[in-house]
Amino acid sequence: MQCLVTGVAGFIGSHLAEALLREGYEVIGIDCFTDYYSRQFKEKNIAGLNTQKGFRFLEANLLQIDLKKLLKDVDWVFHLAAQAGVRASWGENFEIYTQNNVLATQKLLEASKEANLKGFVYASSSSVYGDTKVLPTPEKTYLQPLSPYGVTKLAAEHLCYLYYKNFGVPTVALRYFTVYGPRQRPDMAFHRFLKAALLGEEIEIYGDGQQSRDFTYISDVVEAHLLVMKRFYPGEVFNIGGGSQTVLKTALELLPEIAGKNVNIIYQDAQKGDVRHTAADISKAKKLLGYQPKVRLAEGLRAEWEWIKEIYKYV
Amino acid sequence: MPISEELLEILACPKCKGDLEYIKEGPHGEGLLCPQCRLFYPIKEDIPIMLIEEAIKVDEVK
Repeated sequence: MQCLVTGVAGFIGSHLAEALLREGYEVIGIDCFTDYYSRQFKEKNIAGLNTQKGFRFLEANLLQIDLKKLLKDVDWVFHLAAQAGVRASWGENFEIYTQNNVLATQKLLEASKEANLKGFVYASSSSVYGDTKVLPTPEKTYLQPLSPYGVTKLAAEHLCYLYYKNFGVPTVALRYFTVYGPRQRPDMAFHRFLKAALLGEEIEIYGDGQQSRDFTYISDVVEAHLLVMKRFYPGEVFNIGGGSQTVLKTALELLPEIAGKNVNIIYQDAQKGDVRHTAADISKAKKLLGYQPKVRLAEGLRAEWEWIKEIYKYV
Repeated sequence: MPISEELLEILACPKCKGDLEYIKEGPHGEGLLCPQCRLFYPIKEDIPIMLIEEAIKVDEVK
């Protein structure tokens, strides 16, 4: 059976592709190496994949290639390619977000109409909820993103549903909550914090540190995809969270022990588009998919720390 | 199935969506050629670079 993973050189895409290969699937991976962060990171992410049997990588842009031809023998689509970043999505950049998040998804869905897919899994985001007061947040909560990024992720999620409803494309959307772990993007909080701790630099926090997140470890997120393949509910949306809400300051308190040294924290102004709290109500994923996050924050941060030490060892 | 055949089966020219020809060793190395657009999509370390902006314009086809 063949899977297509878009955004395969990214943080989550590369881990997912590895897991799919371990499960015995063939994987076609696509990435266009958007310049949101350094290509070097992404090349490292897929270095292990490129040598594996059953994996084929294409450097390609979803907006350019012939997707119908590409999907000819594909059974599962995992659409993780996106223009990432909440804070960068304002102003002129919005055009890039609409192209890479909305239009690219629509093109892939359009091509999927004629493909014989078992499933199309869309990587959505907790950012679709915005600053909701309903915490933990179930899927049926009113959706009101707080950033242009969130708007594009939500628009694409809606497109998935309407291609399911109107054309029978078997789509499922997974709303990820603050995923962390080895290969985390360099602009994301824990990557920045652990790197700063390693290099003896100040850790910059946006806001007062009282914001909270439902941090979700990468292996739990990957596991959710494998579960979706086993228990497929087309047209559905699932929250994929880590199972507990943690205040940022509390998470930071773990760092001295993990890094084996004191860390210096400075507070910067809160950023536009950042939400105050996120917490996933994962009861639907638990009930229907059998999803159960396993990795606790301290354990997950240690794993990310080991990776950070490795990638910045020559800095 | 050899890489070349497999690629030709799933890939088309990103610009015109037309068929591609596999070139094992051309003036620009290994790659996929669109005779219509006269664009050559290089294959570097077994990775096809299917981006229009990275394609090499070729003057003469074959």
